Amino acid sequence: MKKYLKAASKSFQKQAAYKVEYFVGLLNGLLFIFIFTSLWKAIYARSAPETLKGPFDLESMVTYAVLAMIIKISFSMDDNATSFKMRTGALVMDLIKPVSYYFFYLAESVGYSLFHVFSRGIPLLAFSVLAFHVRFPTEPLNYLLLVLSGTMAYSIFFNINYMAGLLSFWFIETFSFQLMKYGLFTLFAGGILPVDFFPDSIRPLVSLLPFPHIFYTPTAVFMGHSPPGGARLAMLAQFCWAAVLSVLSWLAWKAAMKKLVVQGG
Amino acid sequence: MPEEAIKITNLKKDFRINESHPGFLGSVRNLFSRKHKIKHALDGISLEIKKGDFVGYVGENGAGKSTTIKILTGILVPTSGEARVNGLVPHENRIKNAKRIGVVFGQRTQLWWDLPVRESFDLLQAIYEAPEPAFQRNLEYLGEVLGLKDLLSVPVRKLSLGQRMRCDIAASLLHEPEILFLDEPTIGLDLLAKDSIRKFLKKINAEKQTTILLTTHDMEDIDYLCERIVILDEGKIIFDGLRDDLKRYYGRTRVVEVEFREENPPLRFENGVQIVREENRKKWISFDREKHNASEVITYIVNHAPVKDIFLHEPRVADIVKTIYEKVS
Ligand SMILES: Nc1ncnc2c1ncn2[C@@H]1O[C@H](COP(=O)(O)OP(=O)(O)O)[C@@H](O)[C@H]1O
Ligand SMILES: [Mg+2]
Repeated sequence: MKKYLKAASKSFQKQAAYKVEYFVGLLNGLLFIFIFTSLWKAIYARSAPETLKGPFDLESMVTYAVLAMIIKISFSMDDNATSFKMRTGALVMDLIKPVSYYFFYLAESVGYSLFHVFSRGIPLLAFSVLAFHVRFPTEPLNYLLLVLSGTMAYSIFFNINYMAGLLSFWFIETFSFQLMKYGLFTLFAGGILPVDFFPDSIRPLVSLLPFPHIFYTPTAVFMGHSPPGGARLAMLAQFCWAAVLSVLSWLAWKAAMKKLVVQGG
Repeated sequence: MPEEAIKITNLKKDFRINESHPGFLGSVRNLFSRKHKIKHALDGISLEIKKGDFVGYVGENGAGKSTTIKILTGILVPTSGEARVNGLVPHENRIKNAKRIGVVFGQRTQLWWDLPVRESFDLLQAIYEAPEPAFQRNLEYLGEVLGLKDLLSVPVRKLSLGQRMRCDIAASLLHEPEILFLDEPTIGLDLLAKDSIRKFLKKINAEKQTTILLTTHDMEDIDYLCERIVILDEGKIIFDGLRDDLKRYYGRTRVVEVEFREENPPLRFENGVQIVREENRKKWISFDREKHNASEVITYIVNHAPVKDIFLHEPRVADIVKTIYEKVS
């Protein structure tokens, strides 16, 4: 266990070395938050009052946009690591070490993300509170829910990226898969558009996917906004997805190793 | 406890190599059918290595050296046959096996590119669960003999090849492995760096009884380091024995290096005596020492042409290996 904690802390440290990247990232986050809050304000200002009888009033919409964007910025990992190591053969250097590839990668990603939580997430949040009237929940329970739901969300996020990376064991070029993954994340994960805004006909379907549980569910339960079917059901679904995807990741690694050892590294 | 550090029995490893159909129509056909051929990278090798041995594993590019090491470290599964390291089957116990061995692949690093060397070592300590006092002692010792003192605070990506290799070798030894696998550890290094690494390996083998399997195509490494040599050719072992025996039995060729006073000395050689290399007025003349003796050859030369300088060379492992290869193919 200690080795994975150490890996997480080194990964945290490593990020701190890149100062320029850090400031660019911070600026980028600021820009995105500014764009989306302005966008929602413009949309709300121009819409007829009936159409606004939706799930969010302007203030909660801005709050959603800020919080979801901050979670999105905080969730980070090097999702090209596996395919890069596969392509260059550097994977061998991971396999000679007495560690589980999955847990080591997870530890590094968690360290990476925690760095972003502290270095980007919290400053951006503080700034947004002052600049955009973000409405914070007052119940301690909401903060507990954020931690719980956020953890499960990260597990889903990591496992999907992990498996997408393992595709490089079967395909030389995985760029198109990555592109598809980004598309699905952008459309369904809720970093930009809450699930509530999908038309009635496809919303239930979207809710069944693992993607909305990445940014939408943790943001919604934190804000005290009820996701389709309620917060409890959403978090139960989140838990199931996290569990199922973890098992799938484990199976995918087994298959990938089999592929590697048959084909060679 | 098994006597042998490594025991390999009739080990085979096949690779499937896909061949693409050429051209545009070919690339369409590739989607549906692939021709492939089987490459026998290891073709039934057997090998036993005792604790504390220093074995040179020699072979040309593609002979199967790295494949052997990847099997012994649990990265590849053999097609058939068996490999055991410290009594363990590596690919079934990759993590357990990894704790007890050290590995260096010359072209790669096991350190973290963005971290300073010291931080990388620190992480390795946690990974190998190495106890603190022993780890610090090893770090001090390795730092001393490999000259790492000024490198510890440098990020790995800023090290030169030779510096990085010294750090990588230290990294592979910090957890006191019983066996050390070195795959081309001196590739691309300058003479000075090579020399310091060779001296160090000799020392660690003698002092700590670390079993070492060294893969290289630099015969100087082998000549200096390994008492036992295993020669691999196209997945088969074609020689396994002591370096001195190799020289005694196969090293029948002797070479005289002669510097003449004129460009084309009027010499005619026959009966297995021949000029193998020429460089201006210098000529290298080889002969079979079972058929001729050195004084006979030298006398003939000095009697027939004006000579400025003359040397008699010991056989080099490199030349012997070359002649063995020529015999096999
Ligand atoms: N992953 C792989 N897929 C297909 N062929 C491979 C693979 N790895 C090695 N080979 C082939 O197996 C043979 C032995 O390779 P290797 O063990 O790397 O040789 P060496 O280390 O002695 O240079 C070579 O012919 C090489 O092309
Ligand atoms: Mg090799």
